[in-house]
Formats: sequence, structure tokens, C-alpha cells
Amino acid sequence: MNKYIKIAVFALLTGSFFSCEDLTSVNTNPNGVQPDVVNPNLIMPTVLTEMAKSYVNLGYQDIAGVVQHTQKDAWSSGHNDYDWGGNQSWSGYYDILRNNDLLYQRAVTMNLEFHQGVALVNKAFMFGLITDLWGDAPYTNALKGELGGVDNILPAYDSQEVIYAGIIADLEKANKLLSKQKSDYSSIVDNVDVIYGGDPTKWRKFANSLALRYFMRISGKKADVAKAGIENIIKNAANYPIITSNSDDATMGFPGTSDGTSWPANAVYDVSGSNYRRLKMASTFVKYLQGVKDPRLGVWAAKVEIPLVVDAALPAGTDKIEGGKRYLSPDKIGKTVVDTDPEYVGLPTSFSALPSAYNLNPTPGQTSFNPHVSFLAPMYKNASGALLRARLISAAEVNFILAEAAQKGWSVGDAKSLYEAGVKTSLAAWGVSGSSSAYLAGSGVAYNGTLKQIIEQKWIASWTAATESWFDYRRTGLPALTAGPAAKRQALPLRFYYMQDEIRINAKNVTAAMDKLEITNFSQADGKNSAWSRPWLLIGTSKPY
Amino acid sequence: MHLHFPQQMLRHLAFSAFLFALSMSTMVAQTRTITGKITASSDGTGIPGVNIQVKGTQKGTSSNASGTYSLDVSGASPVLSFTSIGFDAQEIKVGNRNVVDVVLTSSTQELNEVVVTALGIKREEKSLGYSVGKVSGKDLNRVVTENVLNGLSGKLAGVSINATGATGSSVSMIIRGAKSLSNDNQPLFVIDGVPVINTLNNVGQVGNDNRVDYGNAISDINPDNIESVSVLKGPSAAALYGSRAGNGVVLITTKTGAKSNKMTINVNSNTVFDNPFKYLNMHSKFATGVLPFTPDNNPYPGGTLYIDEGSSGGVGPELDKGYKAVQWNSPLDAKGNQVPTDLKSYPDNVKNFVQTGITTTNGFSISNSTDAATYRISYSNMTNRGLIPGSDLFKNSIDLATSLKLTNKIKLSTNFDFSRNNSNNRPASERGSNPLQWAYAVSPHINIMDLKSYWVPGKEGLQQNSQAIGDYNNPWFLAYEVKNAFERNRFFGNAKLDYQITKELSLMARYSLDTYGETRETKIAPSYTGEKNGAYGLTTLSPSERNIDFLATYAKSLQDFTLSFSLGGNARKSTNVYISESSKGGTGLVIPGLYTLQNIATANIQYSSSHSNKVVYSGYGMANIGYKDMLYLDLTARNDWSSTLPVNNRSYFYPSASLSVLLNEMLQIPNNRIDLLKVRAGVAQAGNDTNPYALFNTLGLAESWGGVTRLAKPGSILLPDLKPEITTSMDLGLDLTMYKNRLRFSGTYYTVENRNQIIPTTLPASTGFTSKNINAGLLESKGIELTLGGTPIDKNGWRLDLTTNFYKNSTTIKELSEGLNFYTLWTDAKGGAWTYVGEKIGDIYDAEIVTVTDKSSKYFGYPILDSDGSWQSVSASKSRTKIGNFNPDFILGMQASLSYKNWSLNMTFDWRNGGNFVSQTYRYGESDLKSQRFLDNLINPGTMTGDALRNYLVANQETMIKINGNNFPIVGGPTKQYGGFPFEYGGKVYPNGVFNPGVIAQYDSKGNITGYEENLGGPDTRIIPFGDNYPWSFTRAATFDASFLKLREVSIGYEVPSNVVKKLGLQAANFSVYSRNIILWTAAKIGIDPETAFQPQAGVQAGTQFKQGIERYNVTPWVIPVGFKLGLTF
Repeated sequence: MNKYIKIAVFALLTGSFFSCEDLTSVNTNPNGVQPDVVNPNLIMPTVLTEMAKSYVNLGYQDIAGVVQHTQKDAWSSGHNDYDWGGNQSWSGYYDILRNNDLLYQRAVTMNLEFHQGVALVNKAFMFGLITDLWGDAPYTNALKGELGGVDNILPAYDSQEVIYAGIIADLEKANKLLSKQKSDYSSIVDNVDVIYGGDPTKWRKFANSLALRYFMRISGKKADVAKAGIENIIKNAANYPIITSNSDDATMGFPGTSDGTSWPANAVYDVSGSNYRRLKMASTFVKYLQGVKDPRLGVWAAKVEIPLVVDAALPAGTDKIEGGKRYLSPDKIGKTVVDTDPEYVGLPTSFSALPSAYNLNPTPGQTSFNPHVSFLAPMYKNASGALLRARLISAAEVNFILAEAAQKGWSVGDAKSLYEAGVKTSLAAWGVSGSSSAYLAGSGVAYNGTLKQIIEQKWIASWTAATESWFDYRRTGLPALTAGPAAKRQALPLRFYYMQDEIRINAKNVTAAMDKLEITNFSQADGKNSAWSRPWLLIGTSKPY
Repeated sequence: MHLHFPQQMLRHLAFSAFLFALSMSTMVAQTRTITGKITASSDGTGIPGVNIQVKGTQKGTSSNASGTYSLDVSGASPVLSFTSIGFDAQEIKVGNRNVVDVVLTSSTQELNEVVVTALGIKREEKSLGYSVGKVSGKDLNRVVTENVLNGLSGKLAGVSINATGATGSSVSMIIRGAKSLSNDNQPLFVIDGVPVINTLNNVGQVGNDNRVDYGNAISDINPDNIESVSVLKGPSAAALYGSRAGNGVVLITTKTGAKSNKMTINVNSNTVFDNPFKYLNMHSKFATGVLPFTPDNNPYPGGTLYIDEGSSGGVGPELDKGYKAVQWNSPLDAKGNQVPTDLKSYPDNVKNFVQTGITTTNGFSISNSTDAATYRISYSNMTNRGLIPGSDLFKNSIDLATSLKLTNKIKLSTNFDFSRNNSNNRPASERGSNPLQWAYAVSPHINIMDLKSYWVPGKEGLQQNSQAIGDYNNPWFLAYEVKNAFERNRFFGNAKLDYQITKELSLMARYSLDTYGETRETKIAPSYTGEKNGAYGLTTLSPSERNIDFLATYAKSLQDFTLSFSLGGNARKSTNVYISESSKGGTGLVIPGLYTLQNIATANIQYSSSHSNKVVYSGYGMANIGYKDMLYLDLTARNDWSSTLPVNNRSYFYPSASLSVLLNEMLQIPNNRIDLLKVRAGVAQAGNDTNPYALFNTLGLAESWGGVTRLAKPGSILLPDLKPEITTSMDLGLDLTMYKNRLRFSGTYYTVENRNQIIPTTLPASTGFTSKNINAGLLESKGIELTLGGTPIDKNGWRLDLTTNFYKNSTTIKELSEGLNFYTLWTDAKGGAWTYVGEKIGDIYDAEIVTVTDKSSKYFGYPILDSDGSWQSVSASKSRTKIGNFNPDFILGMQASLSYKNWSLNMTFDWRNGGNFVSQTYRYGESDLKSQRFLDNLINPGTMTGDALRNYLVANQETMIKINGNNFPIVGGPTKQYGGFPFEYGGKVYPNGVFNPGVIAQYDSKGNITGYEENLGGPDTRIIPFGDNYPWSFTRAATFDASFLKLREVSIGYEVPSNVVKKLGLQAANFSVYSRNIILWTAAKIGIDPETAFQPQAGVQAGTQFKQGIERYNVTPWVIPVGFKLGLTF
């Protein structure tokens, strides 16, 4: 008996440790919010901030290099020479679209029309960017990874034509969703809307202005659709309000509390400041702005620290710095081209594999301390500031689009006044509206009725939002920019390369899309998937070359 | 070999005590006392626990810990018999001697050797149908290692050990190749039945680019406490451990007091000096800069030569040419102008920066055993001064093992271990705050000793001094002012009840716990280039694991059969809490140098916490059936219920079977040559679950946007209907020993199939997601393990043992899921490691070089250059250009052990052949033109120009035009001496031009090539400045052969003879001198240990933070350690 009692006690002691827990509740994650219950106001700021950041990153960095607003003098091959390594990722853009999709789905479920409208504008904006940059892209079947199945895991590519049509349709839908008074919407939280502070009317203007942008984008390919679309908006101004004044500009400021919430390439969180330093004014841009005496140059650029003075009167062998200037006798220069402008010196386009050596810089290399070339204005070192805003679309751009339409003879108003309104609103945006009249009267600025002039002013106005200028160049060949001697190819690129992950993972679909690209003289070793191949938008248009 | 096992010991002791008591009562007059020492013929050391019996009587005793004994005998010619497991029995006539010393030789049949198997069950090795690797504590501790895993290197077939760096870094152990694509493939470690926590996820980062490997927790174990290590390599051996055994199990048995039959005190002390002797192959020819100016040809206004101190380039003005230049520390003249000083080279900067590492370990143990109780208490203390100044590591541990007989049938045993592992400063790895990276970055025109007082005078505590303030870090500053401290307090232990209910039936119940708290504290002083305002952060990790298990065993012998059945259960709960608070990147502290959380401005503080729980319940059973000592069959079965899986898939079952056939017994092979011929086979399954919360995603919290909360949906798709992974293994082996155990062979062939792996696969971003967990695929590993050992010499006190382990493994992805044809392990540089279905894990891919592919062209194979004269690439993924594989072709380990009387010499070699690694250190270093190798590979055109040069290149086109391996032909160089071509810059011409031999193609508008223009030195050849021509677009330029040969261990030991020891009042004393990890040869010859090609990086692969086959500033200098060890037993 005794033995059995012992066994029983032993078993009891052992068993008492095994108090079973419910395994399902053990595995319930206590560390985060479930997506199916989230309030869309917690998602909206994620989408808006990331969208604005990605746009300014393009427009202030590599695309500013393409349109020759800026040039870099270190780590420069992507910026100056279009040496993009055959790999540009759109995954950040689809990340934004994933969150935007959640915003939209939750807004639909909760019947929040303002949030739906905003999400549709975001969707149009992001897909617009994707197709503008790459060409054909997954659209209809995109963003459906969670549904599973091969069609959703490996989405087919839609033609650019389909995507542009979808963008315009979404914007039309947004125009309706956003047509009520603010008080008619529920659940608007002002501060989560980092662009317009929860103003449905301004969002509606954004939607319609974006539609103008995309109608004009396809104007070389589908002139009828573009004309009808733009005229329709202008004709029905009450039902299609658009951005016409600076206060409607779709822009976003930066809180500047960390690198991720600050102006890109600032010198506050980038301790060495090299990201700021290596970005220099481009010679093309500086010379143009100087030519038209543009007051914005002083806002954007810093004066050259030590100007060069070449003087034949100096004794041979002179090379000295005195009074903040470097004096040289001509024999010290030889055949080397130097820029002796006393105020602003830009870096010539893609002029050498060693751009840091320009203008007799004694310290070439990656440190970018060239005292003989203009840096960007010191405000660009800051993490945030009144003028440091991501600019998604502006009154200036809208006015220039309409000026171009008018210049084409479409019935949208008077080309001259639209052009002048574009210039004025841009000057106002940069705080130099006082010079408007003088500037507009000046040589080269006073309206001369050419598309060239409209696009060139649009090019200036697109500072830090250079993507539009690149797309205008593709469409019109204007401004007539040329590649520099060290560029990968002797022409400006037309698009981004399809990314390697797509080629590896979604091979069949991306191959079909690549096959639709048209090779140009500059595609060369890249083959079809070249930055110099034509996407649908350009095939058959003979632009830009 | 001689292993001794506590329980048998205990029986012997108890039995002898009983006999002794009996003999006392019948003692007669002629009684005399015989004493003596029993030593092993192999190494002359004392053998404890030998059973000594007076033949024909019941009298007997056993030897003590040092092998000595004392026994009373009576009668005229007593005969003593000496028996011990693992040794041949001997009978000796005492005659009229009072001292009888005996030398026992190792048993001719080590078949009876007992090994620890799953659940701590001790089994005779011959009865096992699978292979178990074993290392005795003695072999493990001959050479002292800080992390016990390092002591296993080269000693076991099928096991590979890798470490990222010096003392205190994480050590990876992989058994039979990586089987899982998604976890760190580390085996389960079980100490005395307690599973202990060990992962490779030990990289922490507070502050920008301040990545610190805090070392893995298995290093908390004091190697001196280890009695033996058993490695269960395949699931057949490990099936009973369930889910986590898929990667093998390492069973560690610690020492107990059972061997002592009196109070025994063991003291040991050792010190090892790590002397650095080999460094990276960097040149010291040029100052910083990208153009090698000379005083009479330089671009500076005024004619004075300046050094561009902030440049990362390594081809500025030449050194040791008698030039003077204004340098970072040039003195000022009366007018305040900098005075140019001599440009000299300082080639020994890194050598002068590092110091000799010193590790001292002291420990003692006290043990005793009585009939009713045994105990062993030990204490160990280790202090380490690192190779990098300012770095250190400390370990303290106390271990208590007791067992208590409560009744004749019930035994209570406990084992408690407390340890404290801490450091004031662990050096950072990778690029960023790594002091070695910056020591190598100190330009050779600077004497590193001039940087040693590292503050700018007058700005102490605020601004570090360096060659270029703001751009360059001072390595001394990093070593002393970027401090990453940690402290880990750990407890693990168990309490176990054994109840022998009847002779056949026994029951065991055990409670065990492993828990630790680790606090990491980072203090970064202002002016570190990654954190100019300094940084501070605290991170706390608190993992714990609790296990409760029981096992009932019924064992019986029936005529020819031996039977044993066991039934058991286990309940496991793991929890993990993580808390961190730190300053946001770049924001820093309010008051410089005050390291508290309060000193971070409210807007600049960031914090996070997470909590996870996991519970697994298991039930298992086992049957062992033996027939006539010639056939053994083992069957096991286990079922797990895991909280991490969905309800429907939560329960999973897996069985195993193994068979051992002793052919020599069965076929009655005459015993004169063959001692053992065994064939074994096993098949097994093991199921595996996953991490907690892997079914549904939650939204992540992004940094607030000026006070606005931002939630984000993760880009990974989880799988709500996860199934468990199932590993199926097959194990076939042959064991043969011959010539009285003088020749030993063991061979195993295995296959492992891992199905339903839970792996994150990359999705096209356009799906909206970047990865999706799938529960699919089939990975197959195949390998062979061979061990050949012999004892060629064993006479006149000499004994030589040689053992060789050969190991070869390859793992292939057989299937993934639909639409996925490869799996990415990592991408880096311009390529990466990914594996296509049907191919072997470890393949490395690179961008393709654009070359002439038209075989009919005379330029076939020549690089097609762009219009600038640079190489062109087609990106890696498009071209499938495989450049290597990071796994070795085979691993060969060899151990040699030579002993003569009290002396012994032991050596362990490790040869890994084949495989490749990518060195980001060289990629960065060479793109900055700092390596000697890069200069050595330049083609000097000498006086040749034009056609002569062209023809010379064409005649040698295989090496001078075409790109092979990591050599990119470049003609010319930085100076005239290298044959540099004229390059114009800033109105001057410098002789630093180079060109890349190849052709430039012309294309038509369809993209077809219409012709080629030679770029071979003719008039239109594209000349590029030397400083701007590194093949950065190609991973292969920095990919090297990973083969190496290491002398893992060498030691010379001396056991003080017993008569001397006795005079000193000791039981035993020994002394040894040793060294370890001496790199004898590497194929790459670049001063980097290929074994350190593991790159710690946060979040690259789910579950692991090590990228295999690539290194980034894992550049600890090679060392020759010299260690001294002294052991005394009282």
C-alpha cells in the first residue's frame, strides 16, 4: 500500500506543475494594433508624410541632376551621369500604396467620404509617379498580395495607357467625394492632414489640378482626350475648382525632430554635412537664372566662397588668395576652362569623372569642400524651415499647364496672363514677389508666345520638385538640355530601369512589359530595359529626340 | 579514452563502503595495508573509480579522484583484481609488497563505452543506431576557451563552429549544415536536462552605426564545470527533444561530487596572452587624397603642398620622398601660418593601436560524496583585457550540484548555476564606431600615437581630435569614449526527484528554469561622427524558459532480450521582455557627458517595449529492445502542442526508429583482429513550430510626425494557417575497431529533408508587400562524416593517438512554392547570396561584366567599356552570374595526442577547403585605393606605348585584358613609377592616369553592335584618373577563396608524479602551456580570417542577424595566444 501512496503523491506533485494554459490566448500578440480595427486617422499621416517625402527626395536629388538644377561633386555618377546601376526600386512607392489601400478600405468600411477622397488622390498621385518613372507597371492586380494566388503574388503589368486612364478616373471620383462642406464630413482630424489641415475643398482642388497635370502629360499621345479633359475642367470651374493661388499649394513642412522627419540631406542629422555639401548648383541653371536676372537664384544658391580672378596683368606664376579672392595669372590656368563669375558658379553638367576638381579646387575627392563653386543656400542645411517644404503641386504649375494649353489654342483663357500668373505665384512661393513686375518685364521673361518660354519658366519653378520638369522635357524636348561628356550616354534618360527584384521574382510579367519598350540609339548595352528606351507615352511622338 | 560516470561511481562507492564495513567486522591479525596509484597507460594520469578487489574474498575498494587507493589485505599471497570501465582488467599478485602501482591500458573494446543520450539517458555506445559525437571535459579544457563552443572546433565530424571576432563575440555552431532558411540553425543546448537559451541575435545598436555584438549566452557556462559533451547530430538521436532538435542537440553534463570519496578541493588558474601579429595588407606609400601631388606640381595657390586630410582616398602625395606639406598637426609660425612638415610614413599604426589581450581565469571547486549525499560547489572568475584598448569582459559563476538520498529509493538532486557576465566596454563591429575600422583609416602619413590624446585641447569632453575634425573619427576616442557596456545576470538550474519504485520501474520528475536579465548601456561622447551631440541608451532583455518534465521507465531483462520502455511529458513556457530607451539618432544629450535618461530632451527620447509568450506541451514514449548483445532496436514517438500554431495544426506527431547490428557478434568473426564491426541505421522525424505571433500582423508604430501618431501596415504577409515544419532524417553508419582498438573507424552517411519550412519569401513590391511567409518547400541536406583514429605507438610509456574527422555536407533547395524559383539569403555589395530551386545553398551572385560575346570576334571575352572607358555591368539578378559559394567543400579536423609518462602533447588542426567570401573591408579599402594588393595588381606599361603596348596586352589577354576572378586588369597607376599616363587637372598634368583594357562598342538604333573600337593604349584610349577607377559595380572584385588551415589547439601538459604530489600534501597537480586558433595559412592572403566572414546586421534574415560569407570590418588582427594553466587537487 505504502508504495502506491508514494506513487500517488509523486504523481500529484509532478502533475500539479502542469497547469495548462489556453494556447490560443498565449499566442495573441499584445504588442500592436490589429489592422482590421484601426482608425483611418492613424494611417492617413503615414501615407501623406511618406508620399511627400518620396516626391521631394526625387525632385531635390537625382531628378534635379537630370534637369540640371543641381550637380553633385562626389558620389555623383547617379546624379550627374545617369549611372543608375540598372536598378531603381519602386518598393517604397508601393509601401505607401499599401498603407493608402488600408486607409481607403477602412474609410469605405466606416463610410468616411473625406478619407476616401484623400486616399484616391494619394492613389492617383503615387501610381502617376510610378508610371511616369517606369512606364508600364502593375496596377489592376497590384496591392493584392494578401489575397494569394499566382495572379496576385506575381501581378501582371498594365499598359501606361490603362494606368493614366485609371488615374484620371480616380481623380474624377475624388472630385465628387470631396465636394461637400467640411461640416458635412465626420471624423476629420485636422492635424493628421499634414498637407491641408483637413480642408476638403483644398483636397478637391488638389484632385482637379492633378487631373490637369495628367491630361497634359498624355497630350502628345492622346491630344483629343487631353484637350477635352482640360477644357471641361476650366469650363465647369464651379464643379472643378483648381489650385490658383499659393495658399492652395499642396505642400508639407517638416517637424525636424529626427532625420526621418526632416528636410532631406540636411546637415543637422547628417553630422558630417557631406550630403548637403556635395550638392552644388548646376552651371546650366545658374547661367540661365543669371541671364534673366532671376531673384530666386539668391534664395536657392549661396554665393561662391572664393571667386577666381584671372588677370593677364599679374606676373606669370601668380596663384594667391587675397581678400577672399584667388588671383591667377593666365599661365597657371593653361587650357583649363574656369568660371570666374564673382557671385555664382555652377558645376557644369556631367563634365568629368572627377567633378570635385572643377574650377581649380585644390581638394578634389569626396569631401566636397570646393570654395570655387556655389553651394546651395545655407537654409538647406537645416532640418526644417519656412521654405523647406515638400511641394506636390502648386499654383505655378497649374498656371503653366493652362498657359501651355492656351498656347496650343485650347479654350482655357489667355496664354500671356496664365504664364504671368505662373511666374508670379512661383516668385511668391519663394518670398520674392516684390520683384515680380520688374522680372516679368525683363528680357527673356516678358512673354513672347513660345512654348519654350513657358516650359523654361516651369523648369525654374520646379526647383526641389524637378520630376515635373523632367517629364515636360520628355514630352516637349524643352528645356533643350544636353548630357555632359562624362554621362553614361550622350542624351538625357527617359525613364527608370525596372528593378532587379521584379526581374528576378516577377520575371514573366516584367519581361512582357520590357518587350513593349522601344529601343533608342542610346539604349545600347542595356537592351530594352534601358533608361533611354521609350515607354508607351513616347512611342511614336518623336520626342524628346 | 576513459570516461567515468557518476551513477556507476556511486554504486561502486556504495558497494565498496558496504564491503569495507563488512571486512572491518571480520578483520584478522595478519592484516596489512596495501596502497598504490592506478594510472592510465595513455597519459599517465590517475584513474579514479577503479574497482579493486581481493580475489576470492568480498574485500575491495575503489580508487579516489587522483587514482590512489588503500586496501587492507590478509593472507599469504593475496591477488588483487583491478577493473574499470574502459580499461582492461588486471590481476596482480601482491607478494610481500606494500605498494602496488598499476598501469591500466585502455580497453581493447571501447564498445562498452557509455554515452549520454536524449533525456540524459546513459547508454552503451554499441547499442545505438545513430552516431553521437562526444568530447570529454578534459579534452575540452586542455586549452582554455572563453566560450565553450570554441573548444569544440575541429573535434567533431559534422560540426562547424564560426566566430565573428575576438573574445566575447558570438559563436555559431552548425551541425550537419544549415537546414532552415529562416532561423539561425543553432542546436538546442541542454545542460543537465535543462534547455538553455542561446541565440545569435545578440547585436544591439544604440546610436547611429554603433553595432555591438554582445556575445551569445552559451558563453555563460563555465567550461571547467563540464564533465562531458554529447552532440546528438541527427533527429534520430534527438527526436525526443522535439521541436527544437531539428538542428541537433548539444548535451552538456556537468561535474558532480560523486567521484570524490573525501573532501576534494580543486584549484586551477590560467592566463592566456593574445599577441597580435598579422594585419590587413594596406600600403603606406601615400597620404590621403585622390591625386599624388608633388611640391612642384600641385594645385594649391602659393606653391605650398597641403594634405587633404578629410579625403577618404589613399593616393595623395607620396610619402618618404623628402616632401614637406602642411598637415593636420603642423605647427604655426609667428604669423599664425601653418609650417609645412616632413611627409613620412607610419606603417605600424594599427599595430601600435592594438594591445596584447590578456585573459585570466581562476577557479576552484569543492566536492565530496557520502553514502547519502554528494555535492560539488565551484566558483570561477574570468577577466579579459581585450585587444582593443579600453575593452574588457568579466565572468563570474557559482555552481552547486547536490544529490541527496531521501530514502533507499528516492533521490533528490539539484543543480544551480548563477553567473554574472559583464563588460564596461564591448567594441563595436562593422562600419561606424568600430575602433579598428578607424585605426585602419588613419592615414599612413599620420603617427597614430600623435592622436592618442584624443580631445581637442580646450574642448575636452566636447570635441575629439582627428586628422579631419567632423569627417574622421579618432580610433582612441572610439575606444575610450564610445562605450557599450552590458551586464547579464543569469540563473539556471533544476531540481529532480528520482524514484526507483521497483527494480524494474523508475520514475523521474524535474523542474527546471533558465532565466537572465541583461542590461546594455551605451554612452557616446559628443563629436562621434555618427552622433555629434553624443548619445545614451539603455536596453533590457529578460528572457526566461521554464520546463517541467517527468519520465517513467520500465526496464527488464528476459533471457536473450533486454527491454526498456519509457513514457514522459514536458511542459515548456518561454517568455521574453524587451525594453529600450535611448536618445533619437542625431539628437543627443542636453548636458554633454551626463549619461542619464533625464538628460535627454523630451522630444528627443525614444523608447519601445515588447513582450512575448510561448507554451509547448509534449508527450513522448520510447522503447529499447536488445537481443543477445548483437541487435538493438530503438523506437521513439513524440507529440507536441505548440501555442505558436493555429488550433488545427497545433498538434503534431513524429516518430523515430534506429537499429544497431553488431556483425562481429552475429557472424562470430574471430576476435583476434576485429574488435567491433557494427552497422547502424536510423530514420526519424522532428516537427518544428515557429516564433510567437507569427499568424497575424499588427500595425507598426512609426515615429510621430511632430506629435501626430503614425501607424503603418507591415510589408510582410503572415500565414494564419501555418503548419509545423517537418524534418525527416536518415542516418546510415558503420563502426569498426581492430587490433585491440589500435585502429578505429566510424563512418556515417546522412540525408535530412526539411519540409514545410516557414520561410519569408520576397514578393514583388507591386503586390504591396515585400515578403510573405510561406509554409512550403523542401530542403535536402546530404553529407558524410568519417572518423579514422589510430594508436600507432603504445609502448614503453609512449603513446601516440591520431584522429582525423572528415566532413562534407551540401544542402539543396528541392522545392519552394509555386511561382518562386529562388530564395534570398542576403543581398549586399552589387550581388548577393541567393539559391535557385535545384541548387546548393550558399551560392553567391554578382553583376555580369559586359563583354564581347560573339565567339567569332577577335575580341571575344574582352570587356565592353562605356564611352568613358569604364567597365559596364548587367545587374546580378538578371544575369545569374555565379561567382562562388560560401560553404566549404569539406572540413577536415585532426587531433594528435602524444604522451610519455607524465608528459603529454596535444594538437588539433582544422582545415576548411573551398568556399568563398566577400570582403567589404577590401571593397571599401580598395575603392579608397588603400590596399597594397590593388597596387600590386596594376599593369605597368613601362616604356611601351601605342602598338607595342597594345600587342603586349593582346599577347597576354587572358590576364591583362579579360577579367578573371577578382582581378580587373588596369594599365598605369598613381605615379610615373607605376607607368601612370598623363592626366590633366586644374591646368596641370599629373602622371596618374590609367586605362581599362577592352573595347568600346558602336550600336545601331536597334541596339545591335555594329563595331568595336579598341581601348588598348592607342591614341583614343580613355584615360581615367587612378583615384576614380575601382570596379565598384562588381562584388567579385572583393571576393576571395575562403580555404584556410588553423592550428586550433596545441598544448604541452605535465602531470606531477604522485610521489612528489604526495609530499606536497596534494592529490594531484598538473601544469600546461598552450596556444590556440593560430591561422597557419589562408588561400586569400589578405590578412582576414575567412572564418569571420559572418556579418552581424540587424534584421537581414528573420531570426538571424548573421549574413554568412561576407564580412565588413571583422578585422581583428591575427593573434598567437600563449596560455599557461595550473591545476591542483587537494
